[in-house]
Amino acid sequence: MRNSKLLFLVSVVAIFGINLLSGSINQYYYQIIIYAGINIILATSLNLINGYTGQFSLGHAGFMAIGAYLSASISTYFAPQLIAILGEGAFGHAVWFLVVLLIGGLGASVAGLIVGVPSLRLKGDYLAITTLGFSEIIRVVIQNLNIIGASQGFRSIYVYDNGVRSLEAVQEYSNIGYKFYEVPKYTDFFWTFLVVAIIIFGITNLMRSTYGRGFIAVKDDEIAAESMGINTTKFKVTAFVIGAFFAGIAGGLYAHFIQYVNPEDFNFLRSVEIVVMVILGGMGSTLGVVIAAIILTILPELLRDVQQYRMIIYALLIIIMMLLRPQGLFGINISRGKKKTRPAEEKSKGA
Amino acid sequence: MEILTLNNCTIRFGGLTAVDSLTTHVGQNELVGMIGPNGAGKTTVFNIITGVYDPTEGDVLFNGESIVKYKPFEVTAKGIARTFQNIRLCQSLSIRDNVKVSYNKSCKSRLVSSVIQPGSYFKEENEIDEDIDRLLEMFDLHVDSDDYAKNLPYGEQRKLEIVRALATKPQLLLLDEPAAGMNPSEKKDLMKLIQTVKEKFKISILLVEHDMSVVMGICERIFVLDYGKKIAEGKPEEIQKDPKVILAYLGEEVKK
Repeated sequence: MRNSKLLFLVSVVAIFGINLLSGSINQYYYQIIIYAGINIILATSLNLINGYTGQFSLGHAGFMAIGAYLSASISTYFAPQLIAILGEGAFGHAVWFLVVLLIGGLGASVAGLIVGVPSLRLKGDYLAITTLGFSEIIRVVIQNLNIIGASQGFRSIYVYDNGVRSLEAVQEYSNIGYKFYEVPKYTDFFWTFLVVAIIIFGITNLMRSTYGRGFIAVKDDEIAAESMGINTTKFKVTAFVIGAFFAGIAGGLYAHFIQYVNPEDFNFLRSVEIVVMVILGGMGSTLGVVIAAIILTILPELLRDVQQYRMIIYALLIIIMMLLRPQGLFGINISRGKKKTRPAEEKSKGA
Repeated sequence: MEILTLNNCTIRFGGLTAVDSLTTHVGQNELVGMIGPNGAGKTTVFNIITGVYDPTEGDVLFNGESIVKYKPFEVTAKGIARTFQNIRLCQSLSIRDNVKVSYNKSCKSRLVSSVIQPGSYFKEENEIDEDIDRLLEMFDLHVDSDDYAKNLPYGEQRKLEIVRALATKPQLLLLDEPAAGMNPSEKKDLMKLIQTVKEKFKISILLVEHDMSVVMGICERIFVLDYGKKIAEGKPEEIQKDPKVILAYLGEEVKK
């Protein structure tokens, strides 16, 4: 669509406008909105891998963790010095935040490349297990890295006047002689939804293009795609790397919002949660996945009143949903077809 | 001038020799038929040519260049396209998009320009769309091209596979049982169509078919496989009379 660029600009302006009003929003709602945004980024990026390209990845939380820890530690360790160069103003912070986010995303996409190249030879369940294993490795490694807080989580660092940086040290000398830096709270409505707009427009444009159809062809029939001149390995790795990049960015946004990251935030359940959003929304439907991400962010909050039944209701809703619409909210029902419902003639198996 | 040469090609799967030292060729703008009883190794030959399998021994030359080590997508890029015995269309793509996938190798718009969509992107996409319209028109596929490919009747799905293969702009087209599951009148149309394609696109065609009326009707030269071995090669009339071919198809005459 030719006007997609205009639509993108309009939405960026709208996001900027809404951001100006964000001060008047109740903090609790504001937090939910930001989480919804982060979940949209995670789910749509996973949808590129699982939905469009058909490679079942269960390790999205791992890429998110890399982005979150990488960007949070750069912010904490180096931001004070670099912000000093760019000035304390809003501009300096904005540029710095963008750089930090990109580094987090790039770090995650490098990890995606490293994991993707060997493991994308596998299919289906095997790929799911490999990616799951990978994300658990990341989590366990982080859990054992003292420099980023290990299993206590990464909150802040302490810069001593003599230049020694250490987390343990501060527990011993918790009085004078150091400056205190924590993960800065850069993430706001504007940044989160700017990324949301970029990923939604990017993926929609991509999937409409001739190049983008290649991803769907890989999902439908790898042998046919290959014989039509599609380098299936390259397409799969590309999807994986892009997906990991945005997961990394989502991680960075997350870390700079709650200013505290814990390895347990990126465990297996987190990956499953994102996969559920994709399946519930409909594999390969960006609109459906966005809506599912919003619903699955709000739903647990709405169910807070019935605390003890919360997970039961949540699980039941997902079960009912899968029974009624197995293809997801907006997924394409392959067995029904788009327009005509003329069934394909009985396929005789050619000898 | 030979476009494709198979030089002593052998492929073994464990103890089974599926194709046994096959030597043959396809000439420029020639329509060659490959026939043989079930399990003779015809599709395996296709898979060797297109790079799905590497031959255990021997060589495949395309325009004088060995293509044995190429992967299927590289072989397609070199100019060999194929269709499949069991139709392999993309289920979740429309008719148009199924064909569009084939333009990927020649498409200049890659990842970045597909996302940013500069002016040249739309120009290219429009050209592709027009090209697809021409191809669909030529193959008499007057259908809503935004409908799912799997909603097409069986015979038209086969035609769509040929369209998709042609869209890769091949020099050599491999057709794996294009007439399977078609009724006699559809078969007649298909024969005409294959000949038109050959003339219009100036390409060579290698055809596998069980229907003798099709093979004998359009092929300029035929070779016969049996248990992976080439048992005969020649003009259709010669093949029909060849005692070895009759033996392979009908079995030995009982002597009294």
